[in-house]
Amino acid sequence: MKGRTELAVSAAVLALLALGPVLSPSIHIDVSIMSEVLAYTIAAMGVNLLLGYTGLPAFGNAAFFGLGAYGAGLSIQNWHVHVLEALLIGVLTSFAGALLIGPFLLRRRGIYFGLLAIAFGQVFYFIAYRFTDLTGGEDGMNFSRPYLGLPAWHATLDGTGFYYFTLVLFALAILAFALLVRSPFGRTLVAIRQNELRVRYLGLNSDRFIFVALLVSATLAGLGGALFGMLLNFAYPLLLDWHLSGDFVLISILGGSGTLWGPLVGSAIYVIGKDIISTITPLWQIFLGAIFVACVLLFPKGILGSLAVLLGSSRTAPPDAHEADRDAAAPAQFAAERHG
Amino acid sequence: MERVPNRRTFIKAAGAGTALVAGFPAFIPRLGEAADTIKIGIVESETGTYAALGENQIKGFQFAADEWNKRGGVLGRKLELVIEDDASDPGVAAQKAHKVIDQDKVVALSGTISSASSLSVSGVSSSAGILYIDSGGHTDDVTGKACHWSTFRTCHSTWMETHATGLLLAKKFGKRWYFITPDYAFGHALEAGYRDVLSKIGGTIVGNDLVPLGATDFSSYLAKVEPAKPDLLLVLQQGNDAVNCLKQAGSFGLFKKVAVGGPQVELEPLWSLPPDARSGFWGIEWYYKSELTLGRGNARAHAFVADYSKRYNEPPTARSAFGYITIDRMATAMAEAKTTDSVKVARALEGTRFSSIFNGEAYYRKEDHQLMWPMWVAEIRPNGTPGDKYDLFNVIDMAQPDQIEQTVAEKAKVCTMQYP
Amino acid sequence: MFEHVAPELFNGLVLGAFYAIVALGLSLIMNLTGTINMAHGSFMTLAGYLAFSMVASGTSFWFALLIAPLLTVAVGMLVERTLIRPLYKREPLYSLLLTFGLSLIAEEAFHLIWGANGVPFTPPPSLAGTIPLGFMAFPAYRLFIVAVLAVALAALALVLTKTRFGLRLRAAVQDTEMIAAMGTNTQLLYTVNFGLGIFLAGIAGVLAGGLLGLSPTTGNTLLMPAFVTVIIGGMGSLFGSIVAGILIGLTISMTTLFLPAFSEVSMYILMALVLVIRPRGLFGEEGLFG
Repeated sequence: MKGRTELAVSAAVLALLALGPVLSPSIHIDVSIMSEVLAYTIAAMGVNLLLGYTGLPAFGNAAFFGLGAYGAGLSIQNWHVHVLEALLIGVLTSFAGALLIGPFLLRRRGIYFGLLAIAFGQVFYFIAYRFTDLTGGEDGMNFSRPYLGLPAWHATLDGTGFYYFTLVLFALAILAFALLVRSPFGRTLVAIRQNELRVRYLGLNSDRFIFVALLVSATLAGLGGALFGMLLNFAYPLLLDWHLSGDFVLISILGGSGTLWGPLVGSAIYVIGKDIISTITPLWQIFLGAIFVACVLLFPKGILGSLAVLLGSSRTAPPDAHEADRDAAAPAQFAAERHG
Repeated sequence: MERVPNRRTFIKAAGAGTALVAGFPAFIPRLGEAADTIKIGIVESETGTYAALGENQIKGFQFAADEWNKRGGVLGRKLELVIEDDASDPGVAAQKAHKVIDQDKVVALSGTISSASSLSVSGVSSSAGILYIDSGGHTDDVTGKACHWSTFRTCHSTWMETHATGLLLAKKFGKRWYFITPDYAFGHALEAGYRDVLSKIGGTIVGNDLVPLGATDFSSYLAKVEPAKPDLLLVLQQGNDAVNCLKQAGSFGLFKKVAVGGPQVELEPLWSLPPDARSGFWGIEWYYKSELTLGRGNARAHAFVADYSKRYNEPPTARSAFGYITIDRMATAMAEAKTTDSVKVARALEGTRFSSIFNGEAYYRKEDHQLMWPMWVAEIRPNGTPGDKYDLFNVIDMAQPDQIEQTVAEKAKVCTMQYP
Repeated sequence: MFEHVAPELFNGLVLGAFYAIVALGLSLIMNLTGTINMAHGSFMTLAGYLAFSMVASGTSFWFALLIAPLLTVAVGMLVERTLIRPLYKREPLYSLLLTFGLSLIAEEAFHLIWGANGVPFTPPPSLAGTIPLGFMAFPAYRLFIVAVLAVALAALALVLTKTRFGLRLRAAVQDTEMIAAMGTNTQLLYTVNFGLGIFLAGIAGVLAGGLLGLSPTTGNTLLMPAFVTVIIGGMGSLFGSIVAGILIGLTISMTTLFLPAFSEVSMYILMALVLVIRPRGLFGEEGLFG
């Protein structure tokens, strides 16, 4: 898409999102669900950065999501901070988490990276469960919605207000993301995905790039988590669990891995779909699983990815996110890698 | 080669998909329903870990609602239950609570099994000023530090569970106790309750194994019990953990060597255990086949058991009772208050003494909104009785609510309620 | 406290043997095709449920122990042929996601068919009770598990080393192109290999049903430990899975004794340590999966 068309589309999408609360009664989708869509989108953007652009299986993002929620919650509960402060502290908590485990993750690539991420996430999960005095344990942590912190206006955000707050942050996040992936840094990440060895031969320290990508990814996940925690006024251990990481990966792939708006599309389908289907039938999990399966088998490029290919545009078509220059069947390739 | 669907099929599919998504709300049955019903939101675990218990609570809710509707409903309007699945996830529970309040415009809420979900739903309902009766979440906090004028609770609290069983079991077996405790909030709360009992009767703890989350193998802990020679082993696990623990205890032959008991057990997990693991003395919250639990000559209780069993081919469990009592009392309070306004209904609910499908009378205590009703202790019959394989409990004792729950004064330290 | 060490060690060995067999199945599937089977737990649960239904309708436990896994293998091979084969051209991530989706469907399907509550699956009376071992009385059923695992391992070793199929399998793991060039139907090989892994899962599932409660979520609780076992043992090494399984079992039981709060987290910490110090796992091969 050319620059101006892209800008127009982005503006249109944001305008549509801004109309959300107005449309809510007629489409029977609660404002809190819309906020959830946005929070999940931000987290999925983090996954997208690692998975779609850098080519790393990001299975640990729920850990950062949860850290964001708990960080915000703990600060509200103990220090009675304002909403922006709570947000910042939540984000910083995830950032700190990524600084802590990043060096371990960096040592590996491929599926090991993903599994290590899951493992560390599970350690955070156990900590949240065990240290009841701090985190409320499995009962979770209830906290009140923080005040706006504006000198003249001592108020908290209600449902609709919080949605707009989330929307503004989402807009900023996606703008930052767009700038990031178009920058030399972003281009390097894509190069790493295509062939990390080549990047290293060019003299670049791929580890450092990946580490920064991980930090950005965690920050986004933390932002989403802090927003989600404040949406529910509740933080609980399942927010750290690897199943949620899997959901974020699905969202990223469903929408279109490696595209800018993919996470939003994926998140909308997932969150709203799950909400609607679970109202209709208790068998919603079968539908969810079927969507996973169908997406993987039939739409691996996701909705936006497939759309981009169909419309034949070359700039946003994600250079095939998960195949480098290969021609042989993977098992053969796999065996060949082992052989020599 | 990548398989990308061809353009035409894709556009067709996209078109169909969009139409489906846009038109989806129309498919949801409850829209366009008879406008003049009283909608009550039920946020319950239909899937996930707690599904078995949630299903029975739903049956209880439905039973009471149908009973009232047969008599013409409440205030001339039929009761309609709007049931949503929380997937055993407290975040989903909170979102579903938002949904039923904002979209379906329910006038009251009930449900939940896990304490976490009870707390999160209570948070949502109290912000909205809508009545919520926690049917099945046991944490003390619901009527303790998280209490609220709009939140009530039907099932017993954790404190009641430990005190009902503790005093009786000490009398029966002795005061040297060994604990196997799930190492998280719930387990710690139970442990604290039992410590309180022991401090009052001068008992000792000869061992306490904290079992971390996720442990499926209890052999290491069970192996330590016998050498410590306790009078009583208290297993504080619930649900699937309890099933695993008891199954393994049975395979170690522990039941033959040590008296085993616990704060609470339910029929649902017991039915999923093999007979050699069904043993011990446990707290139970209600039972379908005992005069001690139902009350002698309580025609209403017996009718409930008979009709429910016929309708569902299975006897009602304590969970069914929670559901039934909750909706029944909610409807009664609405009828009494002549309105569905939450404040007035809450006022009508609290303090009123009533009899229902259990032995004696009860009331939702005014100061913390906990339902003060008795709790019982039963010994498990591994194979039921000759005519009834479900009949696993031999109920041996009953404890009165004011003896087993914290006093109003103690509760006042953590719970203050303010009506709007 | 130290009089507990011997029984604890024994418990750990039994637990470890159990993890080993689950990890073996996973490892078999991963080694040949790179498929990461997140539905492995679901296949275990399926076998458990099938065995339960068979026993409940009158079949003997021993018969069920053999047939239920075979039925599960049939399901598994069907799944491989239709859903997983198309993914061989792609990265392991896709097989992971697909099988994850399958596990969601499976869990709900179990709920539908066998109910949300667990089912009371019991080992036969001949395996009930305890056997005095000097330092403790040990449940006969656990000893039975160890016996079955030993037999399964021996059988697997025999198949891999002494049969044509085993030869082809080992050759394919080394170099699939070569063996295809020499005329072997590699696609069929993949399917049968998958079936072999599922067979091990099935046996483990039936055994687990007697040890733990059997409910729709049972399989999932065993999945993560199984992956951790494979990683610690090293991808590409069957022997590694066995050793790692035992190691993890012992680690869990020893931490239970001395540091109970950490017993479940201990395997993750162990995995992190192994991956940092010796990234390919204890017996793994370099270069596998990055």
